[in-house]
Amino acid sequence: MTHPASLSNKTPLGLMALILIQVICAIFFATDVISDFAESGMALSGRYHLIIESGATVSLCAAILLETRYFLYLLRRKAHLEKSASVATMAVFDIIESHFDAWQLTPSERDIAMFLVKGLGIAEIAKMRGSAEGTVKSHLNAIYRKSGTANRGELLSSIIDTLIEERPASP
Amino acid sequence: MKRIRVWDLFVRVFHWSLVILFGANALIIDEDSAVHEWIGYAVVALIVARIIWGLVGTRYARFSSFPPSRSAAMEQMTDIAAGRTRAHVGHTPLGAWMIYNLLVTMLLIGLSGYLMTTDMFWGMEWTEELHEILVSWAELSVVAHIAAVIFESRRLHVNLPRAMVTGYKENMPE
Repeated sequence: MTHPASLSNKTPLGLMALILIQVICAIFFATDVISDFAESGMALSGRYHLIIESGATVSLCAAILLETRYFLYLLRRKAHLEKSASVATMAVFDIIESHFDAWQLTPSERDIAMFLVKGLGIAEIAKMRGSAEGTVKSHLNAIYRKSGTANRGELLSSIIDTLIEERPASP
Repeated sequence: MKRIRVWDLFVRVFHWSLVILFGANALIIDEDSAVHEWIGYAVVALIVARIIWGLVGTRYARFSSFPPSRSAAMEQMTDIAAGRTRAHVGHTPLGAWMIYNLLVTMLLIGLSGYLMTTDMFWGMEWTEELHEILVSWAELSVVAHIAAVIFESRRLHVNLPRAMVTGYKENMPE
């Protein structure tokens, strides 16, 4: 499994700078659209200019939203990968993540499930996340419910099954 | 859950004085008036006092308790991304960057404003343009600061605006 540079575990500083610049641009365009509209309304002369500028601003905002989501995804990923993760580590990581995707875990649940896979206890997880043990326990219940497992052992084996199972040859 | 004293009287008076003076100069006072200039100098004096307090003041007011750190800021963003709720007693790492940004911007606004009044730069357009760009940047920063304070208050269940009034962060984990 190959990984593009952007999916490695480096800090996504470039992406952060890009988001920041685009936010400033979006604010600049948005104020321009609003002042243009206040000045001439939907008068025929500036109408197409206004429509195009509004469209550009809206799509820029959509891009910022998508980039922010991707940025948060990269941060979550980096949070559980060691500084010098090997290709094999990342492949295993991807398989674990694909399970979390399939179970539709929330960001908090994913974080806790990953600590669980790494073998941390409830008290340790609570300390790492700065939350009460009761909170972690209720997240754990949600993780077991969504994954259809009853405890850490079952959750681990459902992931390990995918790692070692023989793939049936396609007919 | 406990309550921790974080902001001393100086920090609180500084914060709200800056809010009032900058708000007045940016939004209300006539920019060609003498009052605008005097408020500008008062803001610069406030910032200088804050910088001195950052060296000799109480624990959480000192710059050494909130050094500008890229890795700590990344850690805080990771906490946000992963839904972790580790509390910071003093300024948070991202908050620290905002403070340095605002301190520097305020000083530069004061400097560019002062230059506009000197014989050497009087009537020059670039000083005025610089002054206005810096003010826009400061206003943008203030909006981001308020949004971030609301976001963090909700995320960590600690009322941060109230802490800046009373001096105490409530509802902090043991």
